Amino acid sequence: MSVDIGDYVGLSAVMLCIGLAGVLLRRNPLIVLMSIELMFNAANLALVAFSREWVNNAGHIFVFLVVTVAAAEVAIGLAIVVSVFRRAQNVDVDEVASMRG
Amino acid sequence: MIGFYVLAIVLIASAVFTISQKSPVYSVVGLLANFLTLAALYVTLNAEFLGVVQVVIYTGAILMLFVFVIALLSSGIGPFTEGPDRLPRILVPALLSVAVAFGFLIFSVLHAPLTPMPEYVADPARATSELGPAGDPNVFGSVGDFGRALFTTQLLPFEVTAFILMVAVIGVVLIAGDAAPQATRGRHVARKPAAQREPIVKASK
Amino acid sequence: MTTALHYSPLLPTLWLLPLFGAIALWAFGPQLRRNAGYVGSAVVLVSFACALALFGEATLPGNPVRVPLVSWGPGFDLGLSLDPLSLLWTLVITGVGGLIHIYSIGYMWSDRAIARFFAYLNFFVFSMLTLVLSDNLVGLLVGWGLVGLASYFLIGFWFYKPTAVAAARKAFVINVFGDIGIMFALFALFAQTHSIAFNDIFAKVATFSSGFVLLACIGLFIGCAAKSAQVPLHTWLPDAMEGPTPVSALIHAATMVTAGVYLIARFAPLWSTSPAAQELVGIVGALTMAVGAILAMGQWDIKRILAYSTMSQIGYMIMGVGVGAYQAGVLHFFTHAFFKAQLFLGAGLIIHALHDEQDVRKMGGLYQRMPFAFWAMLLGTLAIIGFPLFSGYYSKDAVIYGVLEHGHPVLYGMAVGAACITAYYMFRMIFIVFFGPYRGDVPDALLAIAPAATAAEPQEHVAHAPDWLMQAPVAVLMVPTVIAGYVSIGGANSPWYRYFGNLFGGADTAPVAAPLIPEFGSTALVLVLVALGIVAAYVRYGAPAAQAAAIDRLRRETLVMPARLRYLLWFDDAIALAIVRPSQALGGGISRFIDPHVIDAGVRDVAWVAGALGLAFRALQSGLVRAYALTIVIGAACFIAYFAYIGVPR
Repeated sequence: MSVDIGDYVGLSAVMLCIGLAGVLLRRNPLIVLMSIELMFNAANLALVAFSREWVNNAGHIFVFLVVTVAAAEVAIGLAIVVSVFRRAQNVDVDEVASMRG
Repeated sequence: MIGFYVLAIVLIASAVFTISQKSPVYSVVGLLANFLTLAALYVTLNAEFLGVVQVVIYTGAILMLFVFVIALLSSGIGPFTEGPDRLPRILVPALLSVAVAFGFLIFSVLHAPLTPMPEYVADPARATSELGPAGDPNVFGSVGDFGRALFTTQLLPFEVTAFILMVAVIGVVLIAGDAAPQATRGRHVARKPAAQREPIVKASK
Repeated sequence: MTTALHYSPLLPTLWLLPLFGAIALWAFGPQLRRNAGYVGSAVVLVSFACALALFGEATLPGNPVRVPLVSWGPGFDLGLSLDPLSLLWTLVITGVGGLIHIYSIGYMWSDRAIARFFAYLNFFVFSMLTLVLSDNLVGLLVGWGLVGLASYFLIGFWFYKPTAVAAARKAFVINVFGDIGIMFALFALFAQTHSIAFNDIFAKVATFSSGFVLLACIGLFIGCAAKSAQVPLHTWLPDAMEGPTPVSALIHAATMVTAGVYLIARFAPLWSTSPAAQELVGIVGALTMAVGAILAMGQWDIKRILAYSTMSQIGYMIMGVGVGAYQAGVLHFFTHAFFKAQLFLGAGLIIHALHDEQDVRKMGGLYQRMPFAFWAMLLGTLAIIGFPLFSGYYSKDAVIYGVLEHGHPVLYGMAVGAACITAYYMFRMIFIVFFGPYRGDVPDALLAIAPAATAAEPQEHVAHAPDWLMQAPVAVLMVPTVIAGYVSIGGANSPWYRYFGNLFGGADTAPVAAPLIPEFGSTALVLVLVALGIVAAYVRYGAPAAQAAAIDRLRRETLVMPARLRYLLWFDDAIALAIVRPSQALGGGISRFIDPHVIDAGVRDVAWVAGALGLAFRALQSGLVRAYALTIVIGAACFIAYFAYIGVPR
């Protein structure tokens, strides 16, 4: 096969960094959560690639776990977003800065 | 191989599309494309079960959740409005740090040797012995293979996922449910209608 | 030079008893009140008895009574040692001290703080005993410092008098200056011998280079000069007369100021190896002797006359031990203790009777009114000028001739001249105080007395002590004033010389040159000059014509007093200019500039930095999620970079 594992891992790295940039640069909380999902998926891709490389099941199980945890995390994250911004004027991550020192 | 590069380009493009759209609905669509492409990539990596899991759970559940929350937040307020940018100079440092991380990741990918596992060094034939066509329940990556692992050697993670999900459900109900009645515990006070309750987050900062 | 341990429990007893007395009197002063005097005197007299009891044991040749106290390490052993030299000093301190204690009961009878006075006196006795009984340099230095402290306490006893406080401070500061010299010598000697004990130091004297010996001797002598009021560190002694008269008698005449003499005598083995150091000491002693005599000629305060005479006599002693005539110098200390205490106590009788009048111009005609005081002062005067058959005659002649024997003709001439001047000013005092009409009720202006003269000693005259308390000690002192010198009759075979034995080294202190004048010739010369002095004083003050016109004479003399004498040869002014003003300027400069701008500013700046850092770090807590996320990403990037770096082979 001419597609070696390095390509997959590199692709994963690219996706990770795109997600990272999204987290840092966007102010809509929903978009931020979506960027976090991107990062999760990048990790999943890397896991699956290595799992294929060593022909080992454990990687798949790990991906399964990651998906589950990501789902749970998204659920709770969205619940927080909903409760915080339910009656707010702006939907802006910068507005929830009441913990400033 | 061409397929890989096509899928890769679509993956990256959809990711960039996701993070760069003003409207969250467009971002959700981009994310959808991303997930589907990712599922295809899993299949090329012999992880067919995971590919299906990806579609069903990620696109089928998580994305739907996103859509519903967008709908919920859009009601009564209007188009999504964002306040003034309080961190206008974050662009350069953010891109810089992301670039640094990316650079080093690529550097290690290009130069780090992937040492084979000891059992493959001893017996190179094993590297491909378990692979086979998709659909065969005994090959690597199939449902049967995955299920066998899940319920025997990796049983604990499986149970833990159940626990995690339960915690998530309880958490969601607690966080996003109606305003907690603790304030009126012991006292029977009629709750004010939604429009008259105080906002959780004060309007102007 | 190891001596077998010759222990006696009497030695630590006599040393510590005054300390306990002082503590008891400090603690129970308010309860004891006047009884403190009896307690204090009893304590000192018991110490005297102990010292007497140890007489036989302490004078065994080469085998002093020794009491080791503490050992802090190799070469650092503290202990007490009673050999003939320290025994002599101990007897004088406790004996004369005891008499003065008794005298003080009467003198301080109506003073409210009498208990504190006796506590301080006992503390002084303890400190002085520490000084003379130590067998090591550290103990001596401790005693040295403590007597300075006791002197400070006692000079400034009447602390509500600003002049007394200033005088106490002056004495203390000058003494501290001397302490530096001794400390330097101590460090140097310890560095060379790795031991503080005298025996160890003396055993190694032969190994010292002459430069080192000179340096050590100079260091020691700076201390002596401060403590024994040698020129130019003498300016504190006249001012120390601000203290009560018993204090002046005990501390500033008989004992503390002789500590320098003791030090030089104790270090005789060291001094004998350095002719240069001896020359220095001799010259300084002679200068002091001369300056003291000259300045005494122009004093009007009876205590100051005696103070300058003390300074002059100590100059004699220092000169004597300095040139190597150790036995002579110490003999003069011995006799001087008696007759100077006598003179001061007699002066105290006069001052007390005249209700704190100290100016001799206001005295006169006391020959009839106070015969006892007259005879006491006269005996003391005859002793101090060296009148034949009195104690001072023997000791002064021994010193003067000793100077000539050891080859210092110039110093000899100065000593002889000073003897003449001594006779003059002492008889001047006698004639002015005791003869002629009584001038107590003459207005001050008529006698040209400036209003701001030395303040009289304040005493509340509530009650009067019984007379015998003050007169008995003076009477007792009359005896040794006359006969104390007889122990030295017989030259090298006299009891005095044999008492010291080989303590000062045999060959080193022998006469070095064939003297220019035989002994009887020198004695005759001195007697002639003494007679000359007496005659001069008689002509100016004692003759009937002079006495009749006393008021005019005294007024004229006050007005035409030469500036040299009025301003005390400008020593005070020189020191003020050279040392006091620069120190005060330095202190003022520091407190005006360095204190607020450097030290305070430093502290302020530290506090400011803390605040500024806090403000700076506060900016990190913006509360903005994106900023925190950026921080996380930067950290993660660092991690990735690190692991990429170490994980990749090159």
